[in-house]
Amino acid sequence: MQNLIMGLVLFVFTLSLYLFYFRKDKSKLSKTFKKSIKMFIQNSIRIFAIFVIIGLLEKFLSKEAVGNFLLKFSGLKGIILGDLVGAIMMGPIASGYPIAKYLFEHGAEVCVVSAFLLSWVMIGTISIPLEYKDLGKRFTITRNLLAFFSIIVLALIMEVLL
Amino acid sequence: MKDKILSFLKEYTLEIIISLIAVTLLILNPQKAYLGIKNAFFTYLNLLLVMVSVAFLAGFISEVIPKEMIKKILGKESGIKGILIGAILGTLMVGPAYVFYPFFKEMISKGARVSVIATTIGAWAIKVPWIPFAIALLGLKYVLLLNFLVFIYAIISGLIVEYFVNLK
Repeated sequence: MQNLIMGLVLFVFTLSLYLFYFRKDKSKLSKTFKKSIKMFIQNSIRIFAIFVIIGLLEKFLSKEAVGNFLLKFSGLKGIILGDLVGAIMMGPIASGYPIAKYLFEHGAEVCVVSAFLLSWVMIGTISIPLEYKDLGKRFTITRNLLAFFSIIVLALIMEVLL
Repeated sequence: MKDKILSFLKEYTLEIIISLIAVTLLILNPQKAYLGIKNAFFTYLNLLLVMVSVAFLAGFISEVIPKEMIKKILGKESGIKGILIGAILGTLMVGPAYVFYPFFKEMISKGARVSVIATTIGAWAIKVPWIPFAIALLGLKYVLLLNFLVFIYAIISGLIVEYFVNLK
């Protein structure tokens, strides 16, 4: 639902931008259109493939399976595994919160759950190739490595503060 | 023709591997795999308008918007203001960040600061519309603290990523 609203807002914004600009100056219209359509097709293929992986992960890894795996660990080992599992898990974070709740209910430490949730929203292993193609090697490597190690620190901060 | 096929294979290697995985799973466990792929279609339809808009926005920026304009708002000279714009924009946006990567690419090539884009992606980890749901499940204090840390981290990480990207 939120995505639909977001889409609608963005679409109206883009449309008004086009209407406003190209009413005065049509010279660049066809070039811009061609480029945009090409980009849309390319993005569609790439992003649909990611959705397929997310859909399959969701069906093949149940909430309990992920939760029970993480419940076996605690301390620094738990943080690192939460970090790794969160990096593999993707898709809307709405499916991550119930796993976090499940973990808390079964006595998991704050730091393990936090590492898992943070990594879920900050690192997407499956979208790394896409990031690499669009934003470059250095950007991708630095951003993801930095996130991975910072999550460990952030998880410890959460543990200390709560 | 042969060159075209080869370049297609090279361009979409990952997507081809994913299709093969999907087909294998469809054979091994048709029921679950079918549901997963069906979900993918629904997600795609859900985000179709976002993706159309992102492509047309990126095209518009690349062909029409003058470089000076982006530079002024989100470039080096924008300073802390540019970074804050990125952080707030990232916080408010919904949907997966990677859908917007082509747009970010255009912004950087048009003069947006790397740190602004990295901060935007960092702050994307805050999902404002889901916060009430998260609070209901995990508690107010936990959720607010977690998101506050992410916001601060987004700003710091943007500067660090920029430092390494620009390193000679």
